[in-house]
Amino acid sequence: MESIVFGIGITALTGALATVAGAAEDTESNIGSQGDPNSQVQLAPQMGYLHRIFNKAVAGEPPAYGLWCALGAGLAWAFMAMQINAVLAIVLGCVLAVFVQGVYATTAYVGRTASLKKFGQPVYVDILKSMTTVTMAHAFVAIFCTVTLCYLMNAALGHPFPLPLLGLLWGIALGAAGSAVGNPYYGKERQYQNQKFGAGVPIAQSGNIVRYAEAGERNSLDNGFFTAKLGGPASGVCFGLIVFLELWRTVIFERISAGWGAIIVGILIILIFTVIDRYIEVWARKTYGPYAAPVKEASS
Amino acid sequence: MTAVAAKPAAGGAMNPTAMAIGLVLMLVIIGACWKIAPGLGLMALIGMIIGGVLIGFGTHFVPVGGAPAAMGQAPGIATGVPMLAAGAGLAGLFGGAWAAEQGLVVAFVTGAVGGGLMMAITCMMVSFIYVFGMGIPAASGKVKVDPITGDTQPEFKSQGTEGHGLPFTSFVGGVIGGLLAGGGGTLIYLMLLDLYKATLPGMMNATESQIMPIAISAAGIFAVGMFLVNAVLTAYNITGTIEGPHDPKFKRWPRAVVASAVASALCGFVAILIVVM
Repeated sequence: MESIVFGIGITALTGALATVAGAAEDTESNIGSQGDPNSQVQLAPQMGYLHRIFNKAVAGEPPAYGLWCALGAGLAWAFMAMQINAVLAIVLGCVLAVFVQGVYATTAYVGRTASLKKFGQPVYVDILKSMTTVTMAHAFVAIFCTVTLCYLMNAALGHPFPLPLLGLLWGIALGAAGSAVGNPYYGKERQYQNQKFGAGVPIAQSGNIVRYAEAGERNSLDNGFFTAKLGGPASGVCFGLIVFLELWRTVIFERISAGWGAIIVGILIILIFTVIDRYIEVWARKTYGPYAAPVKEASS
Repeated sequence: MTAVAAKPAAGGAMNPTAMAIGLVLMLVIIGACWKIAPGLGLMALIGMIIGGVLIGFGTHFVPVGGAPAAMGQAPGIATGVPMLAAGAGLAGLFGGAWAAEQGLVVAFVTGAVGGGLMMAITCMMVSFIYVFGMGIPAASGKVKVDPITGDTQPEFKSQGTEGHGLPFTSFVGGVIGGLLAGGGGTLIYLMLLDLYKATLPGMMNATESQIMPIAISAAGIFAVGMFLVNAVLTAYNITGTIEGPHDPKFKRWPRAVVASAVASALCGFVAILIVVM
């Protein structure tokens, strides 16, 4: 009984860490413009719209976070093998991983933006100085939380995978969850704030991103400020639910019927989310209504 | 020109000769494995090929909209095909590896459910952000009626787009994709773990408990690597975006299944060679 209570506590802690990690990851990727909407940031100068948005999408979020979390976890693991206290080891490992992220962000911004020289897009040194450190700070929060939850899975819950491998797995999952949930909000809702609310961006508008703020030109800090209000927390909730429910069903129900208990609970959770998703879809159709009159069968 | 407007070109065409050559290549690799490592090695290779095929096939179900989906210009999840499949499959592998001690069937199903769970949560949150964050209802650009719910789609498509959000069939496709990918990745891990547990003690002149950390790490790393190989192969087959099982591009799956089988056979053979040579 004590081990189950302990397991539930650790599960709750990892879920909370994952929620913070997901929110920080999405905000970091939006400030750095690393998700899929960056295609528009790269496209804009080619369409004649010069901007001051950061641009570091030389890798997708999942592999990038897979690298940084594996690096942080691997270094922390090495420091722990040197008999350094676990908390200090994780902090040191994550700090070193964040320096790699900083080098990545710098070279990616300079490289990607320099490739747009023939379209007249300048490389802004002040953008490089002010944005890079902010992405590094957010990346540290995301990597530290992820490595810590991996350490808890390994040391407290007894998962067989070594810490670096767990860092790779959950780093990729973190990037996948953050990019899946956070990208539409950053892309449609922020980069194309000048388009109609409640509709997709017409393909003809591609590249026409918003470039001006309330005062002066918009930069990526403005974008991070905006997406941190909904896209970031939603990404955090997504990753937090994934980690929490995966551990919760295993910790509590694994011993029932030789492992089948956790499987049945997992299937039930999937069914519950299926019902919620369908409810959201039907709610949207009823509340927002169609954009045009329904097409009649004969004319289709 | 965006990825939405890009034509699929000759992507859908099947090449029987290439597929036949691929199958012959796979049989040659299986034959070589049977010669070098009959028994457990051969069983492991066949298991890894099945696992790779499950990943390759399962990735076709995952609704991926890429960059156009991030602007609400196309349905699906706004990220890359291999990235999302890897995220789901590796979350499944995490659960499957944890349940490895409870036997092949339980671990395999646990891994599959772990992948499905990750996709169910992600797809639900994607619908949440589209509907409550952006005020956009789901609409498919490839079918006029959702094959599962019967909901009509064209009138919910906003002007100048190919559709947006996640129609219910895409959600179901995502969960099925996660189930298959999670199960496939777990199967590869379990096959390699069994092989390494049996062979490493003799090679290293150590007990099974001593070699377990190495066996688990090596099997896990190979499983992740083979997972990415199969997911990326499938991404090439899909070429850009796919809405799920109702998308015409889904019919391309036989080609990816053959490619995944050959790639898994080759990668699996290398993973076996490090302990039998």
